[in-house]
Amino acid sequence: MKLGSYEVKLEKKVNFTGWQATVISILAILFALFLVGFIFLQAGVDPLLGYKEIFSYAFVNAFGLPLTINRAIFLLLCTFAFIVPMRAGLWNIGMAGQLYAGALGAFAVAFAFGAKGALTSDLSAGLVIPAMIAGAAVSGMMVGAIPGLLKGRFNTNEIVVTMMINFIAFWLVSHMIKEGGPFMGSGGEGEGFKLPESIQPPLYQGIPFTIWIALGLSVLLYFVFAKTKIGYQIRAFGLNPSAARYAGISPFKISLLVFIIGGIIAGLAGYHYFATVPGVYKITKNYGDFGDLAFYGIICGLISQGNPLTAIPLALLFGGLTNGGRFVQGKLQLGFGIDYALLGVLMIILVAFQFFFRYRIVWKKMEKEK
Amino acid sequence: MWEFFARSLDASTIFTIAALGELIGQRSGILNVGIEGAMLFGATIGFMVAKVTGNYLLGFLAGIAIGGVIGLLHGFFSITLGGDQVVNGMGIWILGFGLTAYIGYPYTGPLGMERIPDALGLSPFFFVGIALIAISWFVLSRTNLGLKIRSVGENPSVAEVSGINVAKTRYLSVVTSGMLMGLAGAIYALDYNPVWNYNFLMGWGFISLALVFFSMWNPTILLGGSILFGTLWQLSLNPQLLFPNLLSRYIWRTVPFAITIGVLVLMSTKWFSSRWGAAKPEALGQPYEKE
Repeated sequence: MKLGSYEVKLEKKVNFTGWQATVISILAILFALFLVGFIFLQAGVDPLLGYKEIFSYAFVNAFGLPLTINRAIFLLLCTFAFIVPMRAGLWNIGMAGQLYAGALGAFAVAFAFGAKGALTSDLSAGLVIPAMIAGAAVSGMMVGAIPGLLKGRFNTNEIVVTMMINFIAFWLVSHMIKEGGPFMGSGGEGEGFKLPESIQPPLYQGIPFTIWIALGLSVLLYFVFAKTKIGYQIRAFGLNPSAARYAGISPFKISLLVFIIGGIIAGLAGYHYFATVPGVYKITKNYGDFGDLAFYGIICGLISQGNPLTAIPLALLFGGLTNGGRFVQGKLQLGFGIDYALLGVLMIILVAFQFFFRYRIVWKKMEKEK
Repeated sequence: MWEFFARSLDASTIFTIAALGELIGQRSGILNVGIEGAMLFGATIGFMVAKVTGNYLLGFLAGIAIGGVIGLLHGFFSITLGGDQVVNGMGIWILGFGLTAYIGYPYTGPLGMERIPDALGLSPFFFVGIALIAISWFVLSRTNLGLKIRSVGENPSVAEVSGINVAKTRYLSVVTSGMLMGLAGAIYALDYNPVWNYNFLMGWGFISLALVFFSMWNPTILLGGSILFGTLWQLSLNPQLLFPNLLSRYIWRTVPFAITIGVLVLMSTKWFSSRWGAAKPEALGQPYEKE
């Protein structure tokens, strides 16, 4: 293609540096935010004012900041649940189902200890809280194991299977908390029962201890991928499954393992949001919203290219944007779901920007004919 | 009981048309895992246009048109840019789910128009669906165009050498495919259940995707599969018709999804794929680059 005296050409990129990837990712995010700005314009709000309100509520405001951090912990765990299978070339879009299962597992443990309907009962936090975490991890793991097992054993399409499990888990939660389900709260508004105060985990500045789980996991996963044999096997399988098989890596083992790890982490995300965040402490009526939010995990995973450390600032950014987005809806009288619109636009822009990871645009000044 | 079967056939029509769209795209080698996104767009835009103009025809046309645009977008990412089709399809789905939640929200609630009259006790779209299946079967297996579509899905480089424009054929298929998905969504929102609510499809698109795998890429088997799943879906909504007081209504909603997983596993076993596995388009999901 010729533009004036320049020739524009597309060249296939052989490799790109981490620095280039960062620039492309930042441009993609900025471009998506720019497009969402048109939604503000269409609603009659100055986009700069809109973003200023979002960011100042999400990152400066004393009420907003803890909410942002809690949201970011949730998104970070969902991101890890996505990127571990992603490193092996597999798509875990079942974070929603796995986190519902995790929430059910955690509350099943609390239920077994008699927490239902006993708001003031004095349960031993040192015993029940670890048991609830274990319950969440185990049930997330069991739900995650299904697509891994089917992928490894029969090569069944993991996208369809994880998505089907999302819907199954969604309706199971409804069964448990609505219309006389065993976990239904006393109010009868279709919510789960509330945890007694004695097993609500302690907070530091409005942040529960689960932040250490999330941060610890990011370091641990980074280390596993970079330095260990199993991490190497996962990456090798993701890059080239058939070559990996010849090198003696079992596809069954890898598929099952990555989905089990993903399931455990998503299960913990379910525990985090429904059992430790201040003001929640129950499976809420709108639990489906958190399943939808889990899809931000895909976005963080794709932008960070599977790097668990890069995922931290991304989770914080999107935690802030979704949290602040809900806030400005009310304040500036925007329509519902600006966070959903951002999710959709970000995703498609990322898909479009993938192109720049594979090609580079070359501008060449054409030599004047003599 | 007739009422139940009539509603089941209505539901199966939506599966039929959406899955038929996916089937046509896949026969040309383009996998679109974002059917649900395209359906949400068709449903939401169709619903909004019909509600504003009070005209069903405009609503359906808008649904088909936006579906075509989404198909074109998927084609652009997958054919021209040559990206990973699974990633592109996920993009289509999340875009559909996120953006329609926002733009459709002011229209939440019932459509408030007179229902589309039944034909012979069924939704008229049931017959549209049958006709579309027949046409697609005829075009795919009896015409020159069908041969082109199938050959670019099996082996694009050989097709290119024999004088077929691979990109053009794939674009044609993927836009047609998107239009059918948009139509399926519009039928859902305007005829089957004319009430808008955010993210209301809850899995129709993903079941349609699975139905294409079940159909062995054959439109007639697809019709059979859709009727089966339409009935199953309807039964999961009204279990009391056959099994009064057995399990809660929420548990019943999980049944179509669980059965989908079961059938999908059966189809991926060695026993099954060694007998019928050859039906899968050879180049499905692989980007093609002209040498």
